Amino acid sequence: MVRFTCLAVVLALGTIATAQSVSIQLEGGVFRVVGASTGTLVVYAGASDVPPLAGKATVESGAIVFRPSYPLAPGVRYRAVFTPPRGAAIEKTFDGPARRTTPTTHVERVYPSADVLPSNQLRLYIYFSGPMSRGEAEQRIHVLDAAGKIVPRVFLPGQELWDPDNRRLTMTFDPGRIKRDLVSNRAMGPPIGEGKRYTLAIDREWHDANGVPMTEEFRKTFRGGPAVRQPPDPKTWKIVSPAAGSHAPLVVAFGRPMNYTLLQRMLKVVGPHGEVAGAVDVGRNEVEWRFTPQQPWTAGRYRLVVDNGLEDLAGNKIGQPFDIDVFDRVTDHITTTTSSIPFEIRVAR
Amino acid sequence: MDYRKLTVLSLSVAVLVVAAVRRPTPVAADGDLTSVNAGLKSAGALAFGPDGVLFVGDSMGGAVVALQTDDRTPASAPVNVQGIDEKIAALVGVMPSDLLINDVAVNPISRNVYVSAARGRGPDASPLVVRVDGSGKLTLLKLDSLKHESVNLSDVPDGNTSGRQNPRTQTITDMAYVNGNLMIAGMSNEEWSSALRSVPYPFKTASKGTQLQIWHSSHGRYETQAPVRTFVPYTIDNKQYVLAAYTCTPLVKIPVSDLKAGAQVKGVTIADLGAGNQPIDMVPYTKDGHEYILIANSSFGVVKLHADNMGQYKPIDSPTVVPDKAGAPYDKITSVTNVRHLTQFDASRAVVLTSGGGGGFAPPTGPFNIQTIALP
Repeated sequence: MVRFTCLAVVLALGTIATAQSVSIQLEGGVFRVVGASTGTLVVYAGASDVPPLAGKATVESGAIVFRPSYPLAPGVRYRAVFTPPRGAAIEKTFDGPARRTTPTTHVERVYPSADVLPSNQLRLYIYFSGPMSRGEAEQRIHVLDAAGKIVPRVFLPGQELWDPDNRRLTMTFDPGRIKRDLVSNRAMGPPIGEGKRYTLAIDREWHDANGVPMTEEFRKTFRGGPAVRQPPDPKTWKIVSPAAGSHAPLVVAFGRPMNYTLLQRMLKVVGPHGEVAGAVDVGRNEVEWRFTPQQPWTAGRYRLVVDNGLEDLAGNKIGQPFDIDVFDRVTDHITTTTSSIPFEIRVAR
Repeated sequence: MDYRKLTVLSLSVAVLVVAAVRRPTPVAADGDLTSVNAGLKSAGALAFGPDGVLFVGDSMGGAVVALQTDDRTPASAPVNVQGIDEKIAALVGVMPSDLLINDVAVNPISRNVYVSAARGRGPDASPLVVRVDGSGKLTLLKLDSLKHESVNLSDVPDGNTSGRQNPRTQTITDMAYVNGNLMIAGMSNEEWSSALRSVPYPFKTASKGTQLQIWHSSHGRYETQAPVRTFVPYTIDNKQYVLAAYTCTPLVKIPVSDLKAGAQVKGVTIADLGAGNQPIDMVPYTKDGHEYILIANSSFGVVKLHADNMGQYKPIDSPTVVPDKAGAPYDKITSVTNVRHLTQFDASRAVVLTSGGGGGFAPPTGPFNIQTIALP
């Protein structure tokens, strides 16, 4: 545990030095008055009308010391003001640590990885090589049309959904434009037009967590495909079972691209002795899920257990479309939480 | 020159209490008010409960922390601060561009304004909660000495095998204290969900409350789940409702009596706030005998919805073509612009956080100001 105790900014204590010269020093993130031990030391980290910097002032070995509550930050000019009991105040400015300038981060990958996205595509997941800055996504991510012109109002504004490492950003296409018959949908149509060509462009100027732009911009071209309205049906999935005794992966083919992030945790393999431990690999533009067991397969009956929250690219869940057409009499929303698909591991002949 | 100490004069420390923040630690439901660190990883959505209790939504920590502010001295002075971002940034020693303000709330007793923020934009950003009083004085809350209790909302399985943190988070979009329960709306960074959670307060050990799904229909034909962006408790014809605005902009009313564990609740759409827009905050109020709801939007600015006959408005349930908006009538308010947060100050006033620019589909830019305005 690291504790920041933020207390005094103004301090008056100690002794008077006979110093002819008094100076203020900054060393190791600590402000220190040299040559006097009586008076007040206040540090500001902004213009003159701002409150003083949070921190704690003490007397250490006869010197007035001010320890800021937070580490000194790049780009900040600190103004330390020492006022002795008598005489004029002494002021000195210090620069915070230099900001890193060498770019190191880039966009590693974007999901979906296919180059055809349904016109009701719901989300994008953008993976970065390092932690990024919050609060810039809306100005750094663009969808360009075939002429290279920015398509306006594609994403949900004001919502940056990051993972705790700031390395994965979830962007949501404006659901008001996707959901049939809402005002946004009627006025603007879906964010992606069927048959049209687009480019997802992510600016190099996006700052990483250190405030440094990326090493390069990112571009991904894609075409708008037909909307996907039917929910995924595990009964139609194809399972290729490996032979007993092997480490070969179990392969599940969905017949359509599925949500990459959810494929990491919403499928599991249950065998005669419980859940099977192993590694997940998602391939072929998220159409295929491969599961490699830690231990060789043993013969027996198994189940692929599917969380019914698993979504395809358009947010359709197992047995539940993203937007249900009540004219189709699908008003009873699915209530079971999992589906199971049996398969068998056999001894190779 | 020889430096010698001559006289010990005094030992007096004028203390300007500003803050104390502990580095992130996992938050667990502890069930009682104890003087330990609040354990916040982030400080996002804010809401006041009874007796000066401030609920702080911690999206990164998957928790809500209830802080006992001990701020219970009644007051009514309006709060107005120019450049609140610059002042908070100076207080914690960063450039204003490295400070992100997340929410604003007013203590209904003291009328002090509380601001949640992040010091920094990266994953190591420090959570901050700052109190601003009627004189404009800023006080950084000393989190590790405030009594607090917390509830861990995290029930997410960890699908992560890379050794890094669980990538799944639930961003808390809004909270409100209603009839002894804290209601929490959220939005997942993985699946499309519409979870609205209700947690009894005071928090009980290990109780994560109840959860339900919120649905809405589009002109009677299509039904979809919808994350709630902002909501307020509201009484219509002596019946308690929640007025909720979705990310996809329909404004719906949901009877509180329908909010039961595991329920799949479909709100009645009473307005659609329009294309390319997202609701930010709502304030219901009464003026000159009429009821209104002031709504701040990401793109449409501030609108005043006429709420006198909320119980009689015909639900938007027919597939008729609507031009730009639908349902209950509303007026655009042009006297205040660039509103990023809106909250009730008292019966006749609201507090807004305004930006210098940006908004809509561009990040808001400073300087940010806190203003107390008369409800229009």
